[in-house]
Amino acid sequence: MIQYTIKRLLLTIPTFFAISLIIFLVLNVAPGKPGAQSSGQGESTTGQEQKESYRIFKEQFNLDRPILLNTRFNLDADEVREMLVVSNNLGGDQLAKERIQASDKLDDYGNYLVQHLVVLLDDPDPDIQRLAANQLRAASQSRFVNDRRGDAEAARLQNREIGKANDLVKTWAYTAEATEGEKQAIRQQWKDWYVENQETYTYSAGEKVSIFFTDTRFFKYWDNLLHLDFGVSTVDRKPVLDTVLSKLKYSLSLTTTAVLLAYIIAVPTGIFSAVKQGKPIDSVITVLLFVMYSLPTFFTGTVLLKLLSEGDPVAWFPTGNFQSMDVGAMTTWQSTKDIVWHLILPIATYTSTALAALSRYARTGVIDVIRADYIRTARAKGLSEPVVILKHAVRNGMIPVLTLLGGLLPTLVAGSVVIEVIFNIPGMGQFLFSSINLRDYNAVMAVLLASSSLALMGILLSDLSYALVDPRISFD
Amino acid sequence: MTNPQEEAVERAEDPTYGEIVWGQFQKRKIGMTSLYALLALVALAVFVPILASNKPFIWVVAGETSSPWLASLFDRNFYENAVDIFFNVLMVTSPVVVPGILWLFKSTKGLPGEEKKSKRRIGIFVALGLILAVFGGVTAFPTQSEKTVYPRMEQKLLDEGAEVTAVYPILPYSFRDTNVRESRLGSSFAHPLGTDSAGRDVMTRLVFGTRISLTIGVFAVAIYITIGIVVGAVAGFYGGRVDSAIQRIIEVVICIPSLFLILTMAAFIEDRSIFHIMFIIAIVRWTGPARLVRAEFLRLRRLDFVAAAEAAGYGTRHIIFREILPNAIGPVLVSATFGVASAILVESTMSFLGLGDITVPSWGQILNSGRTTGVWTLILAPGFAIFLTVSLLNLVGEGVRDALDPKLRK
Repeated sequence: MIQYTIKRLLLTIPTFFAISLIIFLVLNVAPGKPGAQSSGQGESTTGQEQKESYRIFKEQFNLDRPILLNTRFNLDADEVREMLVVSNNLGGDQLAKERIQASDKLDDYGNYLVQHLVVLLDDPDPDIQRLAANQLRAASQSRFVNDRRGDAEAARLQNREIGKANDLVKTWAYTAEATEGEKQAIRQQWKDWYVENQETYTYSAGEKVSIFFTDTRFFKYWDNLLHLDFGVSTVDRKPVLDTVLSKLKYSLSLTTTAVLLAYIIAVPTGIFSAVKQGKPIDSVITVLLFVMYSLPTFFTGTVLLKLLSEGDPVAWFPTGNFQSMDVGAMTTWQSTKDIVWHLILPIATYTSTALAALSRYARTGVIDVIRADYIRTARAKGLSEPVVILKHAVRNGMIPVLTLLGGLLPTLVAGSVVIEVIFNIPGMGQFLFSSINLRDYNAVMAVLLASSSLALMGILLSDLSYALVDPRISFD
Repeated sequence: MTNPQEEAVERAEDPTYGEIVWGQFQKRKIGMTSLYALLALVALAVFVPILASNKPFIWVVAGETSSPWLASLFDRNFYENAVDIFFNVLMVTSPVVVPGILWLFKSTKGLPGEEKKSKRRIGIFVALGLILAVFGGVTAFPTQSEKTVYPRMEQKLLDEGAEVTAVYPILPYSFRDTNVRESRLGSSFAHPLGTDSAGRDVMTRLVFGTRISLTIGVFAVAIYITIGIVVGAVAGFYGGRVDSAIQRIIEVVICIPSLFLILTMAAFIEDRSIFHIMFIIAIVRWTGPARLVRAEFLRLRRLDFVAAAEAAGYGTRHIIFREILPNAIGPVLVSATFGVASAILVESTMSFLGLGDITVPSWGQILNSGRTTGVWTLILAPGFAIFLTVSLLNLVGEGVRDALDPKLRK
């Protein structure tokens, strides 16, 4: 048993890694520009400034890096030249979509472009020479130190130096109308600069291997994850882990109460129904549970909300939220009452869905056991019917119901998106829903990872609890 | 001299496993009733243009007779979604296909097993071929009619004093055409369930929604059952390392909360159509049938008939799909029926949250508009439609499950 537990625990590590890989790929391969709506939308900013602020935004969230593996050191000057041609429409027949793609690529490739752009400074085409010199301004920008774990003061000083260096080269550009001498001077400036900084922008074989695996979004994400850093939200720039943890209490207080309630009602109902099997009361209960089972959650929720709180016909309950706005002025007792008052409808909705499934399990569990020989023996011994049912039948009949609890753990923490959205409860589900609509990658990733790892734990627990509750099962 | 008893045994056809299960299912009243109700629902989905369309069946102006309704059936401007075109094809071919199939089954009833099987199979292939050929034809040569709103045109012509004869379906509305002057009407004779905030007839949208829900349910399940069968069969048949590798993959997928993953994927697809939704549901849900099939294969793999087939020199593919799979299909069938119900629920949840296909009249979407506007008919009507469909599917599923259970044979 212990050996089995250890083996299973060790297996969770690669499983978790694979889960994170899948979620990561789903989020990153999907189209859509994250954060495009949240950066540099001010009226006064020019296109160039907007582009620059978006570049910095992407850099901060590693969005300019490739997803899994990095082969950008393998570029050659011809490819870079082609990208310059396409993005600036030098051929004159490029589609807007292709131009945007090429220009995004140029932005993302950043430092990896430098050595090739320097070569292109001597291109026979003067347009390419100019574009190369101008592109070098963006490509040569060094990354700011973005390490939220290290020494903040040192990082600030370092970033100031980087900023200075970055600002210095930003001016080294020229337009098509500049005189030949000016052009020559700027290009020479770049060449001198390159000779000085050559080592930074060329890569040895060892560096290439390391870049291949480590200069990627996935590696950076995992690097942070190992330090329990889930990144910051692209929307409000707060650490997502804090937000997720702060949402937990809303979801948990809703779901634990609901599931507890569901068990308290479902188990006796199931047992009762099983004992009365075939009688009219059993049919009534079965039909009722079946109806509850087939009603969609969002329908139950909407109807309850409209019936009982939107004044159609009555307004006994609040129309949503976790608690009243003036909660600060309340005593503990009052605020508890307030929360209960707010949560009655969502809990009722949640319970009604969980209840039906659980109760059906309980009923089948007891019916399966009730025909067993040892029950007949117990009756033959002269034990009273309640003792036979409660002490002998229920104990074994409840094994499947009990182990369901393990499977419920992830839903407990994850809450219910639908219920939280309908009743406007600021829990995990609603947070996920708003985050996916805002394309907040780090937040979505954190919610999915947190709930998946809890599910992983839940499955492990339910497997182990089988062995604990049922001595017939052993893993050795 | 042969024993007469033995002869009788030889002559009487042994019922096949499928026939036994079907016979058991027929004995279950609730299951059978639900199955008929479900077939009625499918018929409603197929024939819905006869009930609701704003194109008149017959249109007579100045002595010229035309049928805009017929012209609109395969019109990609009017029925924008391929699903609608497909259902219209089913509707148009049904007067040939349905009696044909019924005749085939009747006429082959007395034939011996093998011959019956092959004849029926040929007949079904011919029917499917006909449907697909028509569907291919109408998609390859799209028709386009002029965008006329006939009820308005009729009014205009009548005002001008022209003579117009027009015969409309009972609900002379399209599920898409908005009409701001008639928004949020209550129930009336003209609009049995009122109109929504864009002035669209709710009843029309509801009946067209049947097509969307059933299509998503059936196709999503068909896709993931196929994936599940292949993966599960491979795992269970080969066992060993292949099995444990597949098991690890399945474990990874089931750990990710499925609704969360479905919603996330849906949100990150731009211009999602109902085909995207089917695939999203399918790639999250295939693990269920995969585990079922794997377990069945692990069990059946060790039985004698597999060894016999191997000894007879059949190839692996033949053994997996022709020998073992027919014996393992029962539990998959049950989970498929329940799966359709749950896929319909997932789709309506998605469209309720605004993450479905916004161009189609989906039940969840109608319910969401009921939630935001607070109109009772907009909440109750789609809610009841979902409830009915899901209940019927669950009842049929329970019937099949009981019919498959040897302990419950009647």
